[in-house]
Amino acid sequence: MSVSTAPESVVPPSSSSGAPPWRSPVTFNIRVDQNDQEVVFSGMLRPMIADHMKSIRATCEEAAKVSWGTLYLNFKRLKYMNNVAFLEINRFIRWSAEQRPDLKIKLIISSVIPWAIRKFQVVAEIYSNVSVEIYDKAFYPIQQMLEDAEFINVLRLQEQIIWEHERKILPNHGLRAGMRIADIACGLGDFAVLLQRDFKPEYIVGVDHSRPSLRYGQETVKNLGLEDIEYQYGDAAALLLPDNSFDFVACRLSLQVFHQPEQIMQELFRICRPGGRIYITNECMSCVFGYPEQEIIRSTYQSILDIGRMVGMDLDIGMKTRQLLTDTDLEDIRINLIDINNMNTDCYDFAKVVESWISGTSHMALAAGTPPDVHEGITAGLRVHMETITNPRGLASWPIYAGSGRKPAV
Amino acid sequence: MSGPKHTPTTLRPPPHPAPSGMIISANFSVTGFGRRWSHCHQLANYFARYASANEGDSERHSTLLSTFFNELFEAVYRNHAPKGEIKIEFKRDNNRVSVRAEVPTNAQCEQFYRHTVELVNQPDPMSWYRERLEHDAPEEEVTSLGLLELAVVYGSKLSIAEPVIGNSLALTIEFPFNEAEEV
Repeated sequence: MSVSTAPESVVPPSSSSGAPPWRSPVTFNIRVDQNDQEVVFSGMLRPMIADHMKSIRATCEEAAKVSWGTLYLNFKRLKYMNNVAFLEINRFIRWSAEQRPDLKIKLIISSVIPWAIRKFQVVAEIYSNVSVEIYDKAFYPIQQMLEDAEFINVLRLQEQIIWEHERKILPNHGLRAGMRIADIACGLGDFAVLLQRDFKPEYIVGVDHSRPSLRYGQETVKNLGLEDIEYQYGDAAALLLPDNSFDFVACRLSLQVFHQPEQIMQELFRICRPGGRIYITNECMSCVFGYPEQEIIRSTYQSILDIGRMVGMDLDIGMKTRQLLTDTDLEDIRINLIDINNMNTDCYDFAKVVESWISGTSHMALAAGTPPDVHEGITAGLRVHMETITNPRGLASWPIYAGSGRKPAV
Repeated sequence: MSGPKHTPTTLRPPPHPAPSGMIISANFSVTGFGRRWSHCHQLANYFARYASANEGDSERHSTLLSTFFNELFEAVYRNHAPKGEIKIEFKRDNNRVSVRAEVPTNAQCEQFYRHTVELVNQPDPMSWYRERLEHDAPEEEVTSLGLLELAVVYGSKLSIAEPVIGNSLALTIEFPFNEAEEV
């Protein structure tokens, strides 16, 4: 169910795509999901008077009347809200506390919205039936690793290794000079810097949910004096970037860490302009190999896949690349294999990257709660893989699938 | 092991935002401003974006500042004399952004701003604010709550700069700026 809000004078209208950011190309939307007992607010809610919130309050009250247990008010994509709107939401909550004392109200907010936490905390302190949930507070179990300088060096090395191959295939995926690019789940932000150097885009925005990574990227850009690269704290599943606003939307080696990659794909689709392209890269851990000792190596990566699944990561998502693009209703789908191997890459750099996975998988194993011997086995297997990588007669490969599709023109 | 070698395309000295000083100022007539409600959010977003341009995460800073500026513009929209000019100055003072808004006022508007500043500076403004949330606030107090929220919820400082110039009143608000780093 969708409720249209008020006339233009009440809630300012959205601007067309490509308008300057201060015109705030954000409209308000409210949606009720009766199955999940959830009212979802998004966009901008800055009414002039309380009366203009009538239909919104009525929607909330209707939802409360038919709910039992807990009603969720989801504000995680509400970018702006003024005090007039806040007071009306508060009035609704007070009404529900009086009329439906048995009904709990959970306010879902995101750490991405900087004004929301303090504002809603006040309401939660007043009413005993209200609680606040910051839904993205503990997103990444490996976040503390990103504070580690050595790990950052390895991530940058990994980026460098991949880039040497990836830059050659990017034109095949439609990347051209002068484009507006979004790099979602940008990590340390090196991809944006490398794109700036080699592809001369008009503007790049990198979005990530790791503050240490963003700080690193922001510092790099500042030190290099680069313009037209911006890094934003954000949630890939609920981006605040406007609809239809980028020529090229990238999401690299990240879909695997999300529980619902399809939801991320929908967000990439939303922010891509019609005729623009969505570009994703994904690992395929079951295809990683090394020779000799191929059996040990194969079973090691199988163990990594298993503990990945236990913490909601699909490290084999590379083989679903075409399906992900097709299911997002993209056309002109193109797929390339980025084959990192010890013949086309410095074998010691490659081995260093594999060594870093020992630490990465230990965090995953901890989160999955596996017995210590599971990770000990993985560590031993990864060390065998490193030996094959640096073995002058060995052959080792780390395949990454790169795919893209075009958003149909309207 | 080494990182990628970057060859920037537009090498220039890195920006060093001044710790203190003017960000931007503007003058506009109350009649033009008061013509459309949407001017509040458009001006708030424009100035917030401008003031955040050199921040690491300019989008996040700008979203927060826009929230603050918008409450100020909405208060001014509701409380100004029918004629005259609004003069507004945004400044940075270390980790705070401050705004000085000179607003043409009549007796009623002046009373509103003075009363709001008094409410903010009372011994326990948070209890007063919460009281207004727990019960329906009288109509004359509702319009103060936006500015009050800036102080009690976000830690802004409100004051009226003296002397009052002609039929204008100068409202000064210091906004916190480290909020953007909170999770």
